[in-house]
Amino acid sequence: MSSIRLRLLAWLAGPIVFVNLAAAALAYLLAWAPAGLAFDAALQEAARAAARDPLAATHPARRADGGELTWVAVRAGGRVLAGAPGLPPALPEGAVGDAMLDGEPVRHTSVRAVADGQPAVLTLARTVRQRRQVRAAMLRGLVLLESVCSLALVGLIWVSVTNGLAPLARLRASLDRRDSVNLAPLPEQDMGHELQPVAAAFNALLERIAGASRAQREFQANVAHQLRTPLAGARLQLEWLAERHRGDSDTAAAVTRLLATNERLTRETNQLLALARAEPSQPGRARFAPVDLARLVGDGVQSFVERAAARDIDLGFALAPATVDGDVFLLRDLLDNLVDNALRYTPQGGSVTVRCGAAAAGAPAAGAMLEVEDDGPGIPPAERARVFERFVRLAPDGGATGSGLGLAIVRDIARLHGARVELGDGAGGKGARFTVHFPALRT
Amino acid sequence: MGMRVLLVEDDAVLADGVLRVLQAQGMQVEHARDGLQADARLLDDAFAYAVVVLDIGLPGIDGFEVVRRLRARGAATPVLLLTARDAVEDRVHGLETGADDYLVKPFATPELVARIRALARRHAAPATRLALGHLILDGDTRRAHIGARPLDLSVREWAVLEYLLRNAGRVVSKQQIIDAILPWGDDLSLNAVEVYVSRLRLKLIGAGVAIRTIRGFGYMLEAQAA
Repeated sequence: MSSIRLRLLAWLAGPIVFVNLAAAALAYLLAWAPAGLAFDAALQEAARAAARDPLAATHPARRADGGELTWVAVRAGGRVLAGAPGLPPALPEGAVGDAMLDGEPVRHTSVRAVADGQPAVLTLARTVRQRRQVRAAMLRGLVLLESVCSLALVGLIWVSVTNGLAPLARLRASLDRRDSVNLAPLPEQDMGHELQPVAAAFNALLERIAGASRAQREFQANVAHQLRTPLAGARLQLEWLAERHRGDSDTAAAVTRLLATNERLTRETNQLLALARAEPSQPGRARFAPVDLARLVGDGVQSFVERAAARDIDLGFALAPATVDGDVFLLRDLLDNLVDNALRYTPQGGSVTVRCGAAAAGAPAAGAMLEVEDDGPGIPPAERARVFERFVRLAPDGGATGSGLGLAIVRDIARLHGARVELGDGAGGKGARFTVHFPALRT
Repeated sequence: MGMRVLLVEDDAVLADGVLRVLQAQGMQVEHARDGLQADARLLDDAFAYAVVVLDIGLPGIDGFEVVRRLRARGAATPVLLLTARDAVEDRVHGLETGADDYLVKPFATPELVARIRALARRHAAPATRLALGHLILDGDTRRAHIGARPLDLSVREWAVLEYLLRNAGRVVSKQQIIDAILPWGDDLSLNAVEVYVSRLRLKLIGAGVAIRTIRGFGYMLEAQAA
């Protein structure tokens, strides 16, 4: 049995119910003994009454009264003077015995009498029907009472056990509620003595996991940083080569491909870094400060415009001041990835618009919004939930190469800011529109 | 003779790339491989360099320390930090230590060149003669030319064009243009900027430059491919 509750219940309820039943058996015996004596006393009384006029009492020798059959016989020296034949031999005066008469159990007793002036013995036998009825009623009552009591006990024990195990249940519920990245320690003080060592051991484990995950993130960030210097070197060398071999189309094409690869490696390195930074378990809120989204976009405009110009995409802005509480570097990562995503999936000659401002009237969160809209192929509604998963890339797009991490980073960073990312159609049902709804500033 | 630039970078491939790129721009580049070497050169003759391009992660003493020592000696030579990290601490620390600008690796050739030129320009006396494509603005004579052809500009048009030219290749917002051409807080609407720009576009036909509109944001002056 693996449930502690069921184990406790079995160990508590089993013995208690057993003791209860034993007590009931004893109660039955104790209650029945006086009842039996009373019946016997009545039998003896009837015999004594009959002995006052024995011969009259034998007419009839067998009579029915009160549901019982009664036999009377007067005997002297082994001979039946009057009454029913076949009664059991007389017992000593005052004794009561059991016998069978006409196939039915009876109790019988004998008293001295005088019949026709001679000493004789009067024997009286009576069926035990009433006794049986009384006994059965007693037994029924006891069984019923004990069943009810046992059930009540089991119920009470169940409630008590559940109550006693409540700290365990709370612990489980609090663990169930956690998301996969919450590695905060369990509060040890508000659980019972017995659970504290368990919680402490669990917290030690959490600490080790958090440490390992921190080390992994630091490693990830380190690698990403280390990669930047050689990437920078390769890029400058390639750009120099491209300039030098501008006239040689074969070489120029190869160098362009190498530059594209370099750019892709750079982007993925940056995403790796952003991912390490946006890890929800990072205690990042410490760096939160008011950030103006319009300024954030303004700071990034140069690089967005360069990227858009390279693909002949019309990049536009509609910026209104909107302050959110956040980490400016993470928000820059979020914006970069949204714009990068839009620029990559919008065909040449398309258009991309970045907007920010106060949330539209009637929006669910009365905070700020940041929006990137394109007129590219858009994302079918059925695929919309999936695009935020890591390494998911939709459609083998023409030449667009992504790691599939960008939108996962967007989602992680939005989540860290208590923001919600909404994905809809672009203007006129064409393209895609990503809207990040930020919560209202806490004043 | 081109401007002298001191490059401090320990990564051989990157250093070689920067050298080639800057030399191709006509700059005279000297290379130091570590912090101590750079510090020694700057101790000798800091004023010989128009700009120092300085990596942060260096063997010996790091880039921050090189800047700190340079500034401690009172030298104002502009410093462009190259950093592999974009963490806020690094940027703030670098600028607090006395660096003038930073560039996160990897960077594109034009970006590197533009930053170096901007630093050199900011440090040197403001240039009076600006040129891009066939367009020439001579601040001394207040004359503008497209090639040999004189170009008539109003005062405001001149101011807008000069600002765009000083920031060629960079996106500037309409508000930045207003702030730059109206230093005394006169009132000018964003629409007025649009009017000046559209007039300038007409006047700049054939100048080999183009004003790109960044919808809803501002403009960028670029040289047009011939």
